[in-house]
Amino acid sequence: MLNLLLRYINLMVLTIAILVIISFSLAYMFPGDTLTNISGIVPQSNEQRVALEAVFKLDRSIFVQFWYYLENLISGDWGVSSSSQVSLLEEISIAFPATIELITYALLVSIFVGIPLGFIGGIWHHKPFDFGVVTFSVVSYSFPVFWLALIFITIFCLQLGYLPLSGRVNFLYDIPHSSGFILWDIMRADIPDKKDAFLDALRHLILPTASIALVTTAIFIRFTRRSIMDEMNKGYIEAAKSRGFTTKQIFFKHGLRNSLLPILPLMAMQISTLFTNAMVVETIFSWPGIGNWIIQAIYQRDYPAIRIGMLVVSVFVVTLTITIEFISRAIDPARDKFQRGAV
Amino acid sequence: MAQFNLYQEEFHPSPVMHIWLEFKRSHFALIGSAILLLFCAIAILAPLLAPYDPNVQNTNTILLPPAWEGNGSISHIFGTDALGRDVFSRTLYGCRVTFGSSIFLVLIAATIGVALGTFAGINKGIKSSILNHLLDSLMAVPTLLIAIIIVAILGTGLWNSMWAIILALIPQFVHQTRTFVREEMKKDYILLDKLDGAGSTRIFWSSILPSMFELLVVQSTLALSVAIIDISALGFLNLGAQSPVVELGASLSQSLEVAYSAPWLVALPGFCIFLMVLSINIVGEGLRNALRNRLIH
Repeated sequence: MLNLLLRYINLMVLTIAILVIISFSLAYMFPGDTLTNISGIVPQSNEQRVALEAVFKLDRSIFVQFWYYLENLISGDWGVSSSSQVSLLEEISIAFPATIELITYALLVSIFVGIPLGFIGGIWHHKPFDFGVVTFSVVSYSFPVFWLALIFITIFCLQLGYLPLSGRVNFLYDIPHSSGFILWDIMRADIPDKKDAFLDALRHLILPTASIALVTTAIFIRFTRRSIMDEMNKGYIEAAKSRGFTTKQIFFKHGLRNSLLPILPLMAMQISTLFTNAMVVETIFSWPGIGNWIIQAIYQRDYPAIRIGMLVVSVFVVTLTITIEFISRAIDPARDKFQRGAV
Repeated sequence: MAQFNLYQEEFHPSPVMHIWLEFKRSHFALIGSAILLLFCAIAILAPLLAPYDPNVQNTNTILLPPAWEGNGSISHIFGTDALGRDVFSRTLYGCRVTFGSSIFLVLIAATIGVALGTFAGINKGIKSSILNHLLDSLMAVPTLLIAIIIVAILGTGLWNSMWAIILALIPQFVHQTRTFVREEMKKDYILLDKLDGAGSTRIFWSSILPSMFELLVVQSTLALSVAIIDISALGFLNLGAQSPVVELGASLSQSLEVAYSAPWLVALPGFCIFLMVLSINIVGEGLRNALRNRLIH
């Protein structure tokens, strides 16, 4: 167990180290001035350039530069955005929670819709209901997420006018920024029309969450259905049946637990899909999240922002994925590691 | 009187034939493959099929609705866009670029991925272990993020976005190939090869690759649907194909400005992408079921 933990920590440290090295080398690989790419400041005069180079140790060897970069990263001094000159740490601490919030709700929706549907489809497989579930899964997996978001906007915002088009909450409500999670902030905030603000924020959330969740739901349905079908065909289920247990008893006592285990790591792999879809959806709905922020950064050629944004998102996703993999490995050690993630 | 049959006449279909027999039992899979073939035909024959040049602007007919609407014209079946370009021709060329480039990049990604995966699967020890685990964890980095980094370094354009997606697809192939090769290396027929004195290269080419082929086809269909969605998403974000190249996602985002007065300009490219991905997914699903059923029989 300790051995396993050490191995996973080792893997995590190694991967993050590579990501940091990549993000450092990006400052050299991006077009333009390395000094601007690493500091975010465009030097106005020669003296300022020399001074800045001395600060960022660009006149020293590359290892010293990297060490200085690492020190800055750890101490939270991430430099400034070259387009807005605001501290990147500050901008990310506003944008990142917005994305996490969106992704969490989308993940919850897909778990609570996808897994039960997958179970029902798997137990009654090759029945009309299962046929419907599979069709739904294949069709919604094929939707390009940007087109889906546009369809939602056309139907619910422009034609019917039920739901708001963009943003997180109406500008009428002045929500003080504390944690960055809008629903939590509203609950904590000391404003008179709290309930209205909460409902308004929920209405803003519906469409982006639905657009992101649809694809993930389809994937979860597929995983769960496959897993439960495999599990219910195994020998010990037959044995339990021959002893006279009902299907209900077998399913809730054995099938449910054993078929949930292998899909946990598969879900971890969906976090990256969620992020990819969230980036596109955020751009369409003007959601002030990190995906939108990175895409705006590339439109404005704001290389320091892209560098740090990439580092933050990838470190977050990698850490989460490795942690979930470790957990699933720890609670299910019997399974051969090469069978993992192969439903 | 009892009859006897001296020569046992049995039907022994080949493995590929088995897959086809299983595959054609599903009507949906057949319809899906028909649509897929249609898109293949469009990708190859687009210049012959398109009635107009996709980039020629005709200022006399701007925002003409499709032919099935009242004031549409039969000379432009899908209508025209804000610059008077024929939407039907643009859709055909767009399918050609999106579909064709996706197939191309999946082929490249599969080749590189299989090479790396075989290397990691056949070899043991620290080198292959590091490669395995690092690739597995780097696989977690979102595709679009990798694409944005590549586009930031190399600049926008169809080729650059293709490189980005190739890079993002490779780990999947490495993962699948490695798992498969690891499993196969434990089997007896590989041991037989080894006892006969075959080297790693020969084992790969003559024993592992033929049995891996089906897995590769299924994995490629999966990758192809991801590739199409990604390449059109990049086009949609204006990071992929640029103006003279007609790409479905890019033309969708260009027509967003007139989406309210001309909704078909948004609907048609999106529907084409959807149909393409749907047919690929149905065919992939059919192939997977056929493979599984073949193994059961």
